[in-house]
Amino acid sequence: MYITDLKAISPQLTYDNELLEGKKTTHEDQVYNVIEPDYMEFIPKGLLRRMGRAIRMGVGAGLPLVKAHSDIDAVVIGTANGGLEDCIKFLNQIVEYDEGVLTPTNFVQSTPNAVAGQLALMGQNRGYNTTYTNGGLAFENAVLDAWLLFRENAVDKLLLGGIEEISDYNYNIDSLAGHYKNEIVNDEDLLSSTTKGTVCGEGASLFVLEKAPAEYYAKIEDVEQITYPTELEFDDCLELLLSRNNLQVDDIDTIMLGYNGDSRHTPWYTHLEEHLIPNANVLSFKNLSGDYRTCSAFATWLSAHLLNGEKAFLPHIELRKKHEKEISRILIYNHFDEVRHGFILLSK
Amino acid sequence: MGVISAIGNDVSSSLSLLQAAKSGIGKAKHFNSKYTSSLNFGEVDMSNEALSALVAQRTEHGNPASESGLSRTTLLAYLAFQEAINQAKLTSVDLMSMDTGFISSSTVGGMSNTDELYADANMKGEPSEFVTSYGGGEHTLRVIKKYGIKGFTSTINTACSSSANAIMLGSRLIKAGRAKRVIVGGADSLAKYTVNGFNALMILSENPCKPFDTTRDGLTLGEGAGYLVLEGESTCKDKIKLAEVAGYGNSNDAFHPSATSDEAFGPRLAMQRALASSGLQSTEIDYINAHGTGTPNNDVTEMFAFNETFDSIPPYNSTKSYTGHTLAAAGSIEAIFSILSLRNNELYASLNCASPISDYGTRPIDKKTAKELKHVMSNSFGFGGNCTSIILSKS
Repeated sequence: MYITDLKAISPQLTYDNELLEGKKTTHEDQVYNVIEPDYMEFIPKGLLRRMGRAIRMGVGAGLPLVKAHSDIDAVVIGTANGGLEDCIKFLNQIVEYDEGVLTPTNFVQSTPNAVAGQLALMGQNRGYNTTYTNGGLAFENAVLDAWLLFRENAVDKLLLGGIEEISDYNYNIDSLAGHYKNEIVNDEDLLSSTTKGTVCGEGASLFVLEKAPAEYYAKIEDVEQITYPTELEFDDCLELLLSRNNLQVDDIDTIMLGYNGDSRHTPWYTHLEEHLIPNANVLSFKNLSGDYRTCSAFATWLSAHLLNGEKAFLPHIELRKKHEKEISRILIYNHFDEVRHGFILLSK
Repeated sequence: MGVISAIGNDVSSSLSLLQAAKSGIGKAKHFNSKYTSSLNFGEVDMSNEALSALVAQRTEHGNPASESGLSRTTLLAYLAFQEAINQAKLTSVDLMSMDTGFISSSTVGGMSNTDELYADANMKGEPSEFVTSYGGGEHTLRVIKKYGIKGFTSTINTACSSSANAIMLGSRLIKAGRAKRVIVGGADSLAKYTVNGFNALMILSENPCKPFDTTRDGLTLGEGAGYLVLEGESTCKDKIKLAEVAGYGNSNDAFHPSATSDEAFGPRLAMQRALASSGLQSTEIDYINAHGTGTPNNDVTEMFAFNETFDSIPPYNSTKSYTGHTLAAAGSIEAIFSILSLRNNELYASLNCASPISDYGTRPIDKKTAKELKHVMSNSFGFGGNCTSIILSKS
């Protein structure tokens, strides 16, 4: 399956592709908020007012694609938490009004499949429609579903996306659980940090995938995942992915890794780049996006542009250079919490 | 397959109540909400402590009560999952194989601990034990850890069609050769969150729900879990095949976030796609386990969709009149009940329907009836316009 169109709302200037010209936006806080476009240009005001943050971002990035591709056969979304801000707003009403008379808007908006539903509604798309909420593998699950749909000849073209919002509430919850740094680290120093915790990001990255297009950005070859692996099982999982695609380790020239500056998370990435794929160039992405459960969708957005030969932003994410070869195959590896590990394989 | 709901803690006790036309809906005893005095619920009649003790009795993993941040949703999932793998005789080697998958679903997930979530989200005091347990995929992760599942795992949330979509995805994974066996289903427990949400939408009935009745005035919330073990031909040669997943279809109604269109585009397309994928004619469907929530909107649009899809509407019922609406778990629980009909060649009564919708000259099944069944359909429609239909056949 091939990426033929894509749109991202991220903590970088991605909506109008200014990042692709090399223009990086600096973040120096624990929270990397997205830079939102002027939604009013294409979402009716009344509707926009009722949309929670995740829906606004998802529809904001997805609707231009749905409008430009009226022949989309399916919508497949990954979002670990969906509209969590609406969820907690509704929860706060429940507790503060002691289960009194409540307004349902927040409740309906908090359903994680509200984004996929809203995109179907606004695009009048009655095709296959689904939403994965599997934590740090929600986007990888969606990629596999897309892979299956093409293999089944069920679709010619579909919309794939990964969406996550930051709300005060999920920041609070993940913060209490120890996900974020106590100290302020700017994005230049994030990846070399040796303390616990990372920074909190958000974003919506959406893709139009096609079966056999004449022109495209990149090919998504395959996806693989494992949960609670031992190191040996992790190694076997990568080997399974490579052998299924008839690849040798050195066929992968570039690896994009989820390094996030959390000392607890680093060993998995180091293991992969030092022991499993030692000859590939190493790229990062979380210094641009912050960390969130579906950020591998943003890594996919970056990879698609790199494989399309757009490289002006490369200096911002180059970690280690082992060779001078052109980028022709990228393996994205990410985990959010050392538990769920995902691989996405893309090529030229 | 394994199931727990208001009509029983396992498949055989559920079958007895379906055969006896005895609903599990009534006043809640364990669920804590302001609405327990005024509303009826399809509650699993066991405390969390009793559920934990039953897990300890059924599994080799000890009493889960000592697990920090354990939700009722997870307890229900443990029980149905264990029954399902027992019946399919899956070994721990099977479960840990890379070609064994697990696809679950939940809408409420760990948010069943509503009060703790409120405190943690608003940073009131020290973190509660549930602070890492609110995600929709939390119960999935705990099952994965307990049973050492390494292959493809997923959590789906398409609201009330979630576990029907889990059945669909599991079947597709096996067909594509990405897995040899997949355990599929869902779990949801009663929660202040959903009770207040549906109440705010004014679609909860004060009485036990009355699917397809002209005086129906809303749904009854329930809780439960249901899991099915799907295996490809190659791995289940010597096993009892309970049924075949013959077809499935999904469509988005593209009309409204929380209601079905008058034309029932989504339900019709879901049923048509399920028929097309099974290769069956509509006349070959012997019974429909309807979505049948008992809301004014659902039942009239689903009936319209039946009439458009079938020359002659097959016998239909709503087993939500026994269990209440178990949300993400409804698709898998109702698939299990459909398989019970299929295997026993019995149709079970749809309850609380004294004055049926008569627009199409038909009414839901009114009493337990013997009928030779070959192919049955189960419908699940959810918020966000998500509609799924599954066809199960005798194997």
